[in-house]
Amino acid sequence: MTTVSGGGPGGATPLVRLRGLSKKFGDVAAVQPLDLDIFAGDFFALLGPSGCGKTTLLRMVGGFTPPSTGTVEIDGQDVTRLGPEQRPTNMVFQGYGLFPHMTVRQNIGYGLRIAKASDAEIAERVGAIMTLVRIGELAERRPDALSGGQAQRVALARALVMRPRVLLLDEPLAALDLKLRKQMQEELRRIHQSIGGTFVFVTHDQGEAMGLANRIAVMEAGACVQEGGPEEIYLRPKTRFVSSFIGEANMLAGERRGGTVTLRAGIAFTDAGPDGPVVLVVRPEAIRLDGGTAGLGTTGRLDDVVFLGPYVRYRVTLASGEEIAAHSADTGRRAGMAVGAAVQIGWEAADHRVVAGT
Amino acid sequence: MIGPSGAVFLLLFVAPFAFLFVVSFWRKKMFVLEPDFTLVNYSETLADYGWPLAFTLMIAFAIAVLTTVLAFLFAYAIRFHAGRYANALLFVTLITLFGGYLVKIYAWKTILGTEGILNSALLTLGIVDQPLTVFIYNPGAVVVTLTHFLLPLAVLPVFASLRGVREAGLEAARDLGAGATRVFRDIVVPQCLPGIMAAFTFSFLIAAGDYVTPRYVGGPYTSMIGDFIEGQFSLRFDWPAGAAMSFTILGAGLAIIALVRWALGALRPR
Repeated sequence: MTTVSGGGPGGATPLVRLRGLSKKFGDVAAVQPLDLDIFAGDFFALLGPSGCGKTTLLRMVGGFTPPSTGTVEIDGQDVTRLGPEQRPTNMVFQGYGLFPHMTVRQNIGYGLRIAKASDAEIAERVGAIMTLVRIGELAERRPDALSGGQAQRVALARALVMRPRVLLLDEPLAALDLKLRKQMQEELRRIHQSIGGTFVFVTHDQGEAMGLANRIAVMEAGACVQEGGPEEIYLRPKTRFVSSFIGEANMLAGERRGGTVTLRAGIAFTDAGPDGPVVLVVRPEAIRLDGGTAGLGTTGRLDDVVFLGPYVRYRVTLASGEEIAAHSADTGRRAGMAVGAAVQIGWEAADHRVVAGT
Repeated sequence: MIGPSGAVFLLLFVAPFAFLFVVSFWRKKMFVLEPDFTLVNYSETLADYGWPLAFTLMIAFAIAVLTTVLAFLFAYAIRFHAGRYANALLFVTLITLFGGYLVKIYAWKTILGTEGILNSALLTLGIVDQPLTVFIYNPGAVVVTLTHFLLPLAVLPVFASLRGVREAGLEAARDLGAGATRVFRDIVVPQCLPGIMAAFTFSFLIAAGDYVTPRYVGGPYTSMIGDFIEGQFSLRFDWPAGAAMSFTILGAGLAIIALVRWALGALRPR
C-alpha cells in the first residue's frame, strides 16, 4: 500500500499516542512498556505471532484491559482511565460479539439507540452503512442465520456506524476461509479508502498486514521490535525475528571483525558495525542464479526446482551446508537447469541486510 | 421412538388429565360419580373458594417472583463472578435437592418455631424476653419455606440460559456506549428470558399447587387452594368438585404466566 492519507510520522500530532504502556497478568508481562504513535488516516497493523501481546495492546487502546503502567491518549485527550463506553473507539471483535437476540438491523442500530439518536437518523445511518458493507439484504436476519463472512460484515458495520475516531479490529479475517479472506481484505481497503478513517488491526498473518496496512508494528514477546511502512519492514528488517516473520528470507551465518563480515558460506565483504556474530538476510527474489553481474556470490548444488506459476523456486545447498532459496520470474530458464549440478548464485550488496545475532 | 414415547405421553399425561377434566363436569351422588354435563362445580368453586383461590395465586406469585429474582442473582454470580468456583457452587446448589421436601419444612419449623433456633438466639442475646410468635404459622413462613425449596430448581434453567450469553457480546455492548445497567437490561436479560420464564413457571405452579407447606408452617389464616382440593378428594370423595377446583387454579395460573410472559416481552429489542 503506497497511499498514505493523513500525517504520517513527519511532524503531525498523532491521533493515538501510547506512552510507556504495559500490561502484566500476574507475573507475566504481556506487553512491555512501549511507545507508539498512530496518525489520523493510518491503516495500522499490529503484527506478531500468537501470544506476543498484540491483542492485549489493542484491548488497552479500546479500554477493555486496564494497563499496568503508561497512558493512552486519543485526540490529545488522556483516556487511560475511561471504559470502552466512554472512548471514541469502536471494536470489531474476533468472535464478532453480535447480539444473538437482535436482528442485523437492531445489532447495527444499537449503539445509536444508546446515544439517543432519533429513529429517523438511526434508520438513515444504519441503511447507509449496510449499503457500504453490502449487507442490505440481511437486515432482518438474526446472527445465527449468517455465514462467517456475513457476520464479519455486520460486526464491521455495527462499529463503523458509530463513526469512531479509531476503528479497532481484532484478527478481523482470521475466522474466514482463504477465498473470503482475500475478498474481505479488498473490502476493508475499499471501505478505508471511501470513509478515510483510522483503522488499527491485529493480525498474525504477515500477508494480511502487508496487504492492508500503510504502517506496521511488529511485536515479539510483548515488545514492539520494529515499526514502519511495509516496504521498510520488508526491505530493511532490524532483527532476525522481523526478517523471518515478514516474508521468506535466506539467513546466512557469519561474523564481523574490524568492519569485515565473513560468512560461513565463504563470502567476505566490508560492512561497518560492532564485532560479533551476525546473520545476513537476503530475500529469495534477490538471488540470481547466473552469478554474472552480481556483487556477491558463491557456488552451490542445485537440489530442487519447482514451477509455481508466476515464478520458479530453486533450492541450492551451499558448501557450508546452508540452504538458499531463490525465486526467479524468468520461468523459461529452468529448462537448462539440472538438479544435482553445480550452480553459481549471487546477489547485489544493496539487497541484503546484516543483523546482529546468531 | 415416537411410538413408545407417544404411548407414555398419552397414558401418563394426557389420559389422567383428560379424565379429570371430564369428571369436573360430572356430579357426585352418595359417594358415586355420575356422568353429566354441568358447570355447577365451577360456579361453586368460585362462590365457596374465591378467597383461597385468590390468596393462593397471590402468595404463589410472590414466591415465584422472589425465587426467580434470587435464582437469577445466584446464577449470574456463578456465571460471571465465581471463576473457577463456578462448578463447585453449582454442585452445592444441586446437592440441596437431595435434602428432600419434608426435611426442609421441618428444618424451617425448627428455625422459626417458638422454641426454635431464631427465638433461642434472640433470647440468649437478650433482645427479647419472651419468644416471638411472628416467625411461624403465617404466610411469611410459607413464602420462606417454599422459596428455599424452589431455589435450586429455579437456578438451573436460569444458569443454563446465562451460559449461552457470550462475553464478547457484553464487551461489544459496552464498546457501543452501554453502561452496566443498559448491558444488563438490553443484552443479558433478553438473552435469558427463556430461562427466567422457566424458573418463574416452575416456581409459580409448584407453589400454587402445594398443600403440605401451608399445613405445617402456614397457620390458620393461610388458606391455600391445594389444601381444599386434597380434602375434596381424600375426605369428601367429591371428585367433580376437586377436579373443577384443580382446573380453575390451573387456568388462572396459566393466565398469570401468560401475563408475565407478555410483560417481559417489553424487554425485547426494538
